[in-house]
Amino acid sequence: MPSGEIITRQLGRTDIHVSALTLGGHHLGNTKSEQESLRIVDEALDGGITSFDNCWEYHLGATEIIVGKALKGKRDRAIVMSKVCTHGRDKDLAMQMLEQSLKRLQTDHLDIWQIHGVTFYNDPDLFIRPNGAAEALTLAKKQGKVRAVGFTGHKDPRIHMAMLNTKFPFDTCQFPLNPLDSGFRSFEQTVLPECNRRGIAVLGMKPMGGTGDMITKGVVTAEECLRYAMSLPVATTVAGVDKLEVLHQNLAVAQSFKKMEPGEMQSLRDRVKEYSGDGRFELYKTSIKYDNPEARLAHGFPLDAKSVEVQEMISATKNDGHSFKTMPPPPK
Amino acid sequence: MQTTALAGAAAAIGQTGSLPKRPLGKTGLDVSILGVGGYHLGTADSDDTAARIVDEAIDNGINFFDNAWEYHEGLSEERMGKALAGKRDKVVLMTKVCTHGRDAGTAMQQLEQSLVRLRTDHLDVWQIHEVVYDDDPDKIFRPEGAIEALARAKQQGKVRFVGFTGHKDPDIHLKMLSHNYAFDTIQMPLNILDSTYARSFHHLVLPEAQKQGIAVLGMKSLGGSGEPVMKGAYTAEEGLRYAMSIPGVAVTISGMESLDVLHQNLAVARGFDPLPVKQLSDLAERCRQFASDGRYELFKTTKKYDGDLGRQQHGFPTAEELPA
Repeated sequence: MPSGEIITRQLGRTDIHVSALTLGGHHLGNTKSEQESLRIVDEALDGGITSFDNCWEYHLGATEIIVGKALKGKRDRAIVMSKVCTHGRDKDLAMQMLEQSLKRLQTDHLDIWQIHGVTFYNDPDLFIRPNGAAEALTLAKKQGKVRAVGFTGHKDPRIHMAMLNTKFPFDTCQFPLNPLDSGFRSFEQTVLPECNRRGIAVLGMKPMGGTGDMITKGVVTAEECLRYAMSLPVATTVAGVDKLEVLHQNLAVAQSFKKMEPGEMQSLRDRVKEYSGDGRFELYKTSIKYDNPEARLAHGFPLDAKSVEVQEMISATKNDGHSFKTMPPPPK
Repeated sequence: MQTTALAGAAAAIGQTGSLPKRPLGKTGLDVSILGVGGYHLGTADSDDTAARIVDEAIDNGINFFDNAWEYHEGLSEERMGKALAGKRDKVVLMTKVCTHGRDAGTAMQQLEQSLVRLRTDHLDVWQIHEVVYDDDPDKIFRPEGAIEALARAKQQGKVRFVGFTGHKDPDIHLKMLSHNYAFDTIQMPLNILDSTYARSFHHLVLPEAQKQGIAVLGMKSLGGSGEPVMKGAYTAEEGLRYAMSIPGVAVTISGMESLDVLHQNLAVARGFDPLPVKQLSDLAERCRQFASDGRYELFKTTKKYDGDLGRQQHGFPTAEELPA
């Protein structure tokens, strides 16, 4: 893939600029090899992607380690993000997770640090309570360890609105934005305008529904999805990539990006309407399949033994009855 | 003198364990405060156990029987039909139709099958089952949608009263009610945790149903599978007492797969006095910590309780592929 450029946009009220396409962190743990993951980050950077998403709990830290390794010596060219996974737990735990994220990512600061997986109705209350994770966001910023702070979640716009209504001064907010979202418990219709109104930078995610099911089942094309998401009033669109060829496709769209006309966007919304109304292609809203084991454990929800991350958890403890204390090795 | 005699008689019945009855909305029917859930008759260990549960329930004053066309592919209806042979006139019989968005014709076919399995020529109550997808109300109320089957079945004398059920989200129930259709009944989860959860049927749907004069059928008093009881949030007795005490509830439907469970429930329901409102709110407050994220109301927060037929009609993965 030849190198190229992607437009950058200002991140809300901050002085940070991000490329309109961001490389998602989770899928870097789903590649065939670590080698391929490292190449994806490398080629992304050369192709004009300057912002890199990640999260403390993705593959038990393995994807933070990969991005840290891949960006070695190039840290200053990249906007590095990660997320903290307290899931209602307290400030101190958040600060411990931050230290681990910094170490894995081989950096002394994150450009964007967000509360991960705000998914349950009591999360906003737990976040803003005394000694809750909100205090960690403020403290980490003061200590210069993070530049911008925000929160993410994929479940329900009502929960996002409750977070915004805590009045915490968020810089960023991340949520699913894709053509099908517009017709089902829609973040686009509710949270997006509210963030725009408040000057909070929006990071769109799941432009293809997270799994690409809506594409493989023939409802939309990958290009339509990506162009649609990037045409909304957002700072950037986070897309996960688990194969080099997917990266190449995404780069081709982003490098030649031209905003969709409002009419084109509306006809796409109308076209997918019959598939969006019950959430069949947005299982992150309608099931707990995409709620990480950390979140489920913290909230007392059942685990799914078939989930990759639960299996990673079990293998990391070596079944010795103790929770894992040291960092597990990255996936093969 | 007559009043005193009546009061004395009522007290005597209470002592011998009579089950209180309440009016079923505006239908003119009276139903026992406890109803037998049909799903669990299909999980009872044998046809014989199922028959004994139905028998003993009737002998002890339960007259409300719940079911659904899709429970255990008809087994629940067949078991109930067999057990009710010769006793049909003693009970208020309800089953549910499982179109999951399909048309009135499908609904009428299912009705005929339900009648055959239940060995009767009419249902007392027929409800649209599992309205749990956001677009269900639109599909139900479209021309030739299931709503037209309700009227047709009533007109043909095959059902006396109609309603709908669902366990997912109060907004979906409210969307159904927004059509101002003359539903006779409405079924919803009502339990201690629901009352303090953000998406509460108790606080969001029940008042609207009462305003429209629709009889309220409560379900999932123990969280669907007894999760809050097993995890120590509240006891089974507290759960049932609470559900049966919520002002405005006609009947609380409880799944009973063994005689033991039936006996436990009867012990609570016999001579039942509703808990005072203050006690209800105290109990709800005590359990708030378990309610606020929906961890024990998995029928609201996960796919666990959404049946395969509905998933299939809505293009969702099966229960095996997507357990929760």
